[in-house]
Amino acid sequence: MRTCLSDAVAPSVWKSSKRVLERCGVDVKVPRAQTCCSQPAWTAGHPDQARAVARHTIEVFSGPEEVVVPSGSCAGMVVHAYPEMFKGQPEEEAALDLARRTIELTQFLAKHGLDPGRGSRGPVTMHDSCHMLRVLDESQSPREALAKAGCEVREMQHTDRCCGFGGVFAINFPELSGRLGEEKARAAIGSGAREVVSCDLGCLMHIVGLAHRQGIPLRARHVAEVLDR
Amino acid sequence: MSTASSGDPLVDLLMASLTRRKATGQVVGGEDAGREAARWMADSGVARAVLASDPVVDGIGLPDALRREGIDVIMWPTGLGKRETMGLEGPIDVCGVTVPALAVAERGTVVLEASEGHGRGLDVTSRHHVALLPADRIVRTLGEALALTFADGRPAPSAVSLVSGPSRSSDIEKIATLGAHGALTEHVVVIR
Amino acid sequence: MSTRKRRGDGGVAYLDVQGTLRERTVDALRDRTLRGNLDAAAASWGEGRDSMRRDYGLDDMRERAREIRRSNIRNLPALLSEMQAKVREAGGTVVRAADGAEACRYITGLAQARGVKVVAKSKSMATEEIKLNEALDDAGIEVVETDLGEWILQLANEHPSHIIAPAVHLNREQVAALFREEAGTDDVPDDREGLVAHARVRLREKFAEAGIGVSGVNLGVASTGTVCVVENEGNARLVTSQPRIHVAVMGMERVVADWDEAAHILEVLPMAAIGQDAANYVNLITGPRRDGEADGPEEFHLVIIDGGRGALRGTEFEEALSCIRCGACLYSCPMWRSVGGQAYGSPYSGPIGAVITPLLEGPSSPASRDLPFMSSLCGACGEACPVGIPLQDLLVRARARSSSPATRTSGMAFRAWSRLWRRPSTYRAWMAGWRLMLRARGKSGWATELPGPGAGWTQVRDMPTRWPPRR
Repeated sequence: MRTCLSDAVAPSVWKSSKRVLERCGVDVKVPRAQTCCSQPAWTAGHPDQARAVARHTIEVFSGPEEVVVPSGSCAGMVVHAYPEMFKGQPEEEAALDLARRTIELTQFLAKHGLDPGRGSRGPVTMHDSCHMLRVLDESQSPREALAKAGCEVREMQHTDRCCGFGGVFAINFPELSGRLGEEKARAAIGSGAREVVSCDLGCLMHIVGLAHRQGIPLRARHVAEVLDR
Repeated sequence: MSTASSGDPLVDLLMASLTRRKATGQVVGGEDAGREAARWMADSGVARAVLASDPVVDGIGLPDALRREGIDVIMWPTGLGKRETMGLEGPIDVCGVTVPALAVAERGTVVLEASEGHGRGLDVTSRHHVALLPADRIVRTLGEALALTFADGRPAPSAVSLVSGPSRSSDIEKIATLGAHGALTEHVVVIR
Repeated sequence: MSTRKRRGDGGVAYLDVQGTLRERTVDALRDRTLRGNLDAAAASWGEGRDSMRRDYGLDDMRERAREIRRSNIRNLPALLSEMQAKVREAGGTVVRAADGAEACRYITGLAQARGVKVVAKSKSMATEEIKLNEALDDAGIEVVETDLGEWILQLANEHPSHIIAPAVHLNREQVAALFREEAGTDDVPDDREGLVAHARVRLREKFAEAGIGVSGVNLGVASTGTVCVVENEGNARLVTSQPRIHVAVMGMERVVADWDEAAHILEVLPMAAIGQDAANYVNLITGPRRDGEADGPEEFHLVIIDGGRGALRGTEFEEALSCIRCGACLYSCPMWRSVGGQAYGSPYSGPIGAVITPLLEGPSSPASRDLPFMSSLCGACGEACPVGIPLQDLLVRARARSSSPATRTSGMAFRAWSRLWRRPSTYRAWMAGWRLMLRARGKSGWATELPGPGAGWTQVRDMPTRWPPRR
């Protein structure tokens, strides 16, 4: 799954993900017809609109393969919300099937014991997105992947605190979202590393966009890009 | 407060829990209990003691022991008005003496039951609170205590008060301060 | 003293709420004192909570707590019947109030019938919800909050910041000033202990004077008709023991079946609420004083409030009724920690407040329909909840139910979005257009102004137009 954010702002993320997987000997298909997991509409409170787009996603990813997503947020959406979204609907079976096969990128690497070889050396600091942490219950797999790639990680304070992105929240409550993002950016710099890394592009865009506006010298990359160097 | 083991694990657990709750306690034999309780109250500057009307109180000779210390003794029911009951009139250094029905060792909680001889406000209207606790009334957990208190077939008391330490308030600058409304001290005399 | 609040007709949100929710968050963000106090409070709670998890097995207790509360809600009608019967057996009176107005009418009527001039109250979210103080005030009856934090707020003419620690947003200097004004003298100490001692005396006067004591109910136990009132200060004990009449106000969902369940919930409550294994006072009250007892109220009235709760049973929001009002979700919420409770404009703030306020008020209520959107859906609340309510999921469902001009606009936008993004060709076209727009607006890899909904983004941050982002 490329993810709509990667399509919109950072195609290098899905491309790096593909290369990383291929270096591990995985046969990767990137269905051209895919669009979006529909999370923006779902969390904004428009379930019918979300369902229409999610239906297309279910169709595009039908088949036996595992679906690897370079986003804890999108993976979490499919795994956690699709069952609720399609409960009692004709696509319920297919939705549950997709939810079972969908997995975030670093979780996939950990699950199959894959090692993409040397990546960037760092140092970087790791931002745990709330969806990775609480929906997928995962903080180990990205750190494991970075360690295997020989990348130094310096932990920031309060890694379990939300960065304030929250999808539509960033647009509806910009000041509050911005305040939380600023705190996260400062925590990131406070780790001693100059670069923040995450499994979630939305968080990164928000944190680094905030940092740039405030003059905080923080760089950002997606974990797939760090593993791809 | 004695830190030596009493030999009874429930008593020891209760003592440790009381410390955690910022209450104090001591373990004494029946013959010494009256004198020790009275001494604690005298040392704390208690001028008047309001005593529950309970066999345990008389059994340890507390009223006489208090009088020997020069402390004014009133038995429940006191007949005092509300203002004097709450210390707005009369002596301020009043001690309410209760006899818990049970205590919960794990939590440092004494279980007080209202009755004709035991006012429901005895421990909380006064500045000080002394509880006279026979050692065989100690159970380990809250669940046990509540199961006994509200056992099938036993009429529920009008008021059961679980007291775990002196009154605490954390409303000013979110730091726990003692004594906003209830007793400022709590001292448990465990009677063997 | 009550110019701030006026009695409403069943709404939950405060009536004196100013501005939009967003505006209130912006105001709150500017308040450094508030932020400092909230951070300190949340940090201290967090330490306590960690200790409870580490040393007292709080995590293991959550699953059972969740099951107990869910079964309570499933069996609610039967439990309430039993509760009612047992309270009456013990000599108490029970009133089932359909809404806040009915509850206020009953309590005000009772006070008037008994010639009561002063009412002493211990903290009760339900009485804030039904605006009881305003109703009594309108009837010319003096109401005094006796919980130290609530009294401070009453003097300050403000609403609470937090369910458990209502005055958490004020500091010592501010409190001393309020006490001086109330006492009409400058002779009020400055230190914490002195301030507390001063309050002790002032409030004891009220306990002595009050003809009715009003308390909330943390938990009702159906098998014996007992109300549990949990506190740390001792004021609830005084409120429920000194005045001649005790009125207990209980939300209808706050009932458990028996003492086995009650013990478990009473153990979990202080762990989640204050990070301790016990609250100082737990008052278990069954009816009025018995014959021969020399203190305690002669009359006991239990007012059970529906106020829209019953209607949530059997819906996708039913789990919200499991709430035991511990306040853990507030402390764990990054939003609440940044802006405090008052910005929510409702007695129920934080994640649980953002869910139930609009549910109890109705989806088009202007005061509350934005609340579910004031969340990044981070899920810390669901994690902190001792009875396992999936608050972040309930917030998403509440958004779907919300009805306002803003959500209607966004509904139109998402209909268009859905049409374009469900088809690969239109999706690709949209993406191409978007990337072109970004390139056009970007300078050195950053856009500082985006059109339409993007303006919300660029108001406080830049948008990278290249990735990885340029320095």
